[in-house]
Amino acid sequence: MLKTMMQLAKMQFNQYNIYKSNFYLFTLNRIVEVIVYIFVWQAIYSQTGNAGGFTLSQMVTYYILAIAFSSIATWGINETMAHSIRTGQINKELLNPLTYFQYYFGMNLGELAFAVVIGIATFIICAIFWELALPVSFLNFILCIFIIILGIPITFFIQMIVGTIGFYTNSIWGMQIFRKAVIQIFSGIVAPISLFPLWFQELSKFLPFKELIYTPINIWLGQVDYSEILFVIIKQIIWGAVLYIIAKKFFNHAIKNITTNGG
Amino acid sequence: MAIIEVKNLVKTYKIIEKEEGLIGYFKNLVKPKYKEFTAVNNVNFSIEKGELVGYIGENGAGKSTTIKMLTGLLTPTSGNVIVNGIIPNQKRIENNKNIGAVFGQKTQLWWDLPVIESFRLIKKMYKIPENEYRKNLKKFTELLDLEELLEKQVKNLSLGQKMRCEIAATFLHDPKIVYLDEPTIGLDVFVKEKIRKFIKDINREKKTTVILTTHDLKDIEDVCDRIILLDKGQIIYDGEKQKFKDTYGRYVIAELIVNNIKDNIILNNAEILEQNDNKLKIKFSHDETTIVKIMDEISKFCNIEDIHMKEAELEDILKEIYKGVHTNVKNNDATSKNAI
Ligand SMILES: Nc1ncnc2c1ncn2[C@@H]1O[C@H](COP(=O)(O)OP(=O)(O)O)[C@@H](O)[C@H]1O
Ligand SMILES: [Mg+2]
Repeated sequence: MLKTMMQLAKMQFNQYNIYKSNFYLFTLNRIVEVIVYIFVWQAIYSQTGNAGGFTLSQMVTYYILAIAFSSIATWGINETMAHSIRTGQINKELLNPLTYFQYYFGMNLGELAFAVVIGIATFIICAIFWELALPVSFLNFILCIFIIILGIPITFFIQMIVGTIGFYTNSIWGMQIFRKAVIQIFSGIVAPISLFPLWFQELSKFLPFKELIYTPINIWLGQVDYSEILFVIIKQIIWGAVLYIIAKKFFNHAIKNITTNGG
Repeated sequence: MAIIEVKNLVKTYKIIEKEEGLIGYFKNLVKPKYKEFTAVNNVNFSIEKGELVGYIGENGAGKSTTIKMLTGLLTPTSGNVIVNGIIPNQKRIENNKNIGAVFGQKTQLWWDLPVIESFRLIKKMYKIPENEYRKNLKKFTELLDLEELLEKQVKNLSLGQKMRCEIAATFLHDPKIVYLDEPTIGLDVFVKEKIRKFIKDINREKKTTVILTTHDLKDIEDVCDRIILLDKGQIIYDGEKQKFKDTYGRYVIAELIVNNIKDNIILNNAEILEQNDNKLKIKFSHDETTIVKIMDEISKFCNIEDIHMKEAELEDILKEIYKGVHTNVKNNDATSKNAI
């Protein structure tokens, strides 16, 4: 199974990277985003001197990391899946000797691998031009990565849920935009969660999104208690399980449509 | 025990009846009206390991619907399907390990990548042992002439090249059963011939059970030993191909080159299909007359220069069946039972 996953991941990665220019374009795109955010915040800091408890140099680190992690949080296979439903390709994929979820999880890993490569490239290039805060400890670095990894099943199941909508509509474009917007706002890509109103902060405590960006960066910067990290880990595992059940139920319900009414 | 066992299989599709206009649209939203359509109607057959079965019938006869139920992609409305001891739509993944399938021009190959990458994926998905994989790859490469294609991106292949790769991919894991739903559609004769030869070779060597649907009856002539003929969702013949031809095709078509035609030619026991100045095409049955008698008769009307005869082909027979010439096939279900 692991070998199959690796091969699927490799293929999806290569499919993305078939044009080497994809890599350069995406990385360039990320760097431009970083520059825009940093300019905006430099202007804000020159007016107020402080925002959300971050110093300017912490804020710079925050955005560089946020943008570097952002593809991992927002990329995935929902469009690939919807396309396969639309074209009837799904009939062939259902004949594979592994489940649809396993097959797409492998592909999702490939997509994320590409996101990681772009993230690392973005990070390295930015580190040349700006002074970055390093992780406060090696343990914090490991925990930061670990929390990001816990987010992978969560975003994957959300991708599968959005992809499954492709059974019912011709285009999942709107849903995809919605999914991306929710993740971008609640994960802290747009702005650190601590800058949002209190109700928003309370809400995001229970949602699984801020652990995709905001929490890992704060662990990197040494601003999260270990007890809170433990809470976050448990929360993510529960969300992973809940989303798995929802995604699976929804998919099985949708697939019944195909198997009783034909493709 | 047969490898495929189909009993009283029925598939009824529910189709939403669309009503005209805005009111119709809202009526549909509230309480959709369904029309039912039975695509497969009480089908029975059993297939033994290693058989090469041609599953034939006109467009819309229900061939693809049957194949989809055999693969587990479609749930039967009623009746049973058991494939290799498994009910396919209940244990799909387990069933998938035993089978391979081609559906028309849909491909399992990855569009943007070299063909060989898809083969590697298949190797890993089905856990094909390394030496087995190499052996198959080598043999398939030879039989289907894939040497040049394996490193090419799928999107750059022609239809025929793609289908050759697709067929190889389908047989790579030594499936016990292969379903081929119109694999030769749109291909040129040379590719068709390669594919036919491939299927026969693999069947001979590995006892692979193959069910083939096609509109090119040459595929059936070449590949299959047995045919199942479907008409409007029901089986009207199931049995050996040769027996089918013997039963319904006991006639000969002869083309004669003639000259000096004197009168209107009238023959007693033969039917004239075509006639012009120096050509005559006739059809007769061995039961009723012989070629010698016919030639005797014809020579009263003209001089025969040359004669060319051919046995009735599957295509001729089927055309007649569809036209209703052999009413006994269509109406008398007992014929098909006897023929098994
Ligand atoms: N998903 C579906 N919904 C409704 N009717 C269908 C569906 N699929 C096939 N049919 C109908 O069922 C009949 C049999 O179709 P099919 O099995 O594809 O025939 P064949 O493969 O022999 O050409 C056709 O009349 C077709 O229109
Ligand atoms: Mg068909």
